[in-house]
Amino acid sequence: MSLAMMRVMALELWRDRAALVMTFLLPPLVFLIFSSVFAGTSGDNLQPKLAVADLARTDASRRVAAALLKSPDLRAETAPDAATVRARVKSGQVDAGLVIRADPAAPGKPFLIVADPSRAVAAPLAQARTQQALAAAAPDAALRRSIDSVAPALGELTPVQSARIDAAAEQLREKPQPVKDDLFDRQEIAGARKGGAVIAYYAGAVMILFALFSAMQGALSLMEERRAGVADRLLAGVAGMGPVVTGKFLFLTAQAIVQAVMIFVVAQGVYGVEALQHFGLWLPTTLAAGVCSAGLALGLVSLCRTRDQAQMLSTFVILVLAAVGGSMAPRFLMPAWLQNLGWFTPHAWVIDAYQAVLWRDAGIAAVYKAWLVLAAIGAAGLIVAQVLSRDPQR
Amino acid sequence: MNPEPILKAEGVVRSYGERRVLKGVDLSLRPGEIYALLGHNGAGKTTLVRAICGRLRPDAGSVLLNGADPARVPAARAGLGLVPQEIALYANLSVRENIETFATLAGVPRAQIPAAVRRAMELTRTLDRSSAPVRTLSGGFQRRANIAAAIVHEPTLLILDEPTVGVDIDAREAVDAVIRDLRGLGVAVLIVTHDLDQAGALADRVGFLRDGAMVLEGDPRTLVAEAFGDQMEILVHLAEGLDMAGEIHLAAEGLEPTRRPGVWTRLDSGGYGAAGRLDARLRQLGLAPREIRVRQPSLANLFSLVAERKAA
Repeated sequence: MSLAMMRVMALELWRDRAALVMTFLLPPLVFLIFSSVFAGTSGDNLQPKLAVADLARTDASRRVAAALLKSPDLRAETAPDAATVRARVKSGQVDAGLVIRADPAAPGKPFLIVADPSRAVAAPLAQARTQQALAAAAPDAALRRSIDSVAPALGELTPVQSARIDAAAEQLREKPQPVKDDLFDRQEIAGARKGGAVIAYYAGAVMILFALFSAMQGALSLMEERRAGVADRLLAGVAGMGPVVTGKFLFLTAQAIVQAVMIFVVAQGVYGVEALQHFGLWLPTTLAAGVCSAGLALGLVSLCRTRDQAQMLSTFVILVLAAVGGSMAPRFLMPAWLQNLGWFTPHAWVIDAYQAVLWRDAGIAAVYKAWLVLAAIGAAGLIVAQVLSRDPQR
Repeated sequence: MNPEPILKAEGVVRSYGERRVLKGVDLSLRPGEIYALLGHNGAGKTTLVRAICGRLRPDAGSVLLNGADPARVPAARAGLGLVPQEIALYANLSVRENIETFATLAGVPRAQIPAAVRRAMELTRTLDRSSAPVRTLSGGFQRRANIAAAIVHEPTLLILDEPTVGVDIDAREAVDAVIRDLRGLGVAVLIVTHDLDQAGALADRVGFLRDGAMVLEGDPRTLVAEAFGDQMEILVHLAEGLDMAGEIHLAAEGLEPTRRPGVWTRLDSGGYGAAGRLDARLRQLGLAPREIRVRQPSLANLFSLVAERKAA
């Protein structure tokens, strides 16, 4: 009997082409958009847009400005004056501005960064890129600034020393040396894997977001059946609504698994997320996420008396859980209390489990708790739906 | 000898909180009998049907369906088919797919489903468009498919809730024909309806439920004859938009407005002679009728009479 209801759900979805596209093509598409947006946030390839105004117009300042304009790490453009830089930052035409107020070798603060607080990350990036440009294109100016900064500690330079510094600066100006980044070393914690942690994060985040969204839409058919009298017809029969609810639960779980397959196929194909290599743990994680979304959706919809109520509740639940659980913005950016609150959402568990499996190469010990939590949420929702669907007063 | 009743409800009492919705209702149906349950909204019809379907237990009294309590013994409901007022089908599925689904959910063994589905479609004359999605069918066709889904498991009792609401005359006649065929097959049919013409034309017995009590029950023709004797109904068709003075004159002549605009009615034992005198009187009052008809009283008149008794 449950299989008959699964067949009904499958046929209804298959014949509603718009819903079919929304269910199976939208998730990988949204995943691609999210991953494109957030893939760069953890790497070196952020390219902020920078407006540069060279007011000093010295040899060194021109070299710094030219280096910034050529830099592949920036999208720099020139501006005639400081007011224009401010106007462009304020209007959002650029992410940050740089005003070269004096010769870079001169004492004091020759550079002014114009920042938009809503694009906070752009200012430090622009500052870092400017320092790189200074070191690469005007090393003589950098040398003079370094000498000026250490001179008070060393005492007054002798004429011979000053002459040597002038000669070294001239030599650097004419023949700049490649910039050596020998202060820091860097170690990637997960070796040289191609797929990024953020991609694995968003694959999981988008998967649970759409699994729950689609499950809510599917569960709304319970309301439709009540409104259209199908529930009356079935409650008057031998089987009642039990097999109907079970059939919907099985279908919605299967639907979530297919959605996950679509998303992770794209994640593996485009970004190299190793889902296939971790299939043994990916599958139970996906199954647990599917069970959770199906049960939760059916339980929540069953609590409602009308379709409008259910529609409102589903929208509220989907948005709030997604926001708190980390489907919209990475959880590590959230305040600690919100991160803790996130553990009350299935999203956080799903995202954490996928990251553990796909990025951290963790074993069952790291994910079994998530499976249990997700399965428990799904089972609780299913029980609520089964009990309420039998209520003759509803 | 009359066969044993398929449905036997005795002294059914049901309250919702302080409000008593059913006040000791009796109702029985035998195989091959059509029973029309009539009553205004809030009379208790839906609660009675729910009790018959086993969806609620009476506070007192009993309901036996095929000899067992449908609320306690699910197997008793195996012989029950319910046709809800709404089109209780899946719109994107074909007629055949819908009926197959409901056959499975009604517990028809898998091997018997094709034959059962075909039989249900033949009975309801839906076979010729069996592959069409329900949403593409006309209202009348959807009504018949709605019935097909309820009879696929060959119930002994079929309950139809407003089976012809919102359909045209042709579609209604097609539905009525299906119901008559089912009666011929020995199915007991309980129709819950506001369509008094349909009830009068189809039902072997009717029951008037008022304020949770069965106030009148029996063969519709006998009930009408007993209520009205030799009285005839005179129907007067007037121009619409009468002023208040005109309405006062009509009321003084014993006429009452019907639901149809411009149509007034009166029961009179004087027959055609009384109709002629009424015509002359109305012309004298400047209310010349467009048409006057005389006919036997119907269930509608009886229904009004029952309602009047309540008002009294």
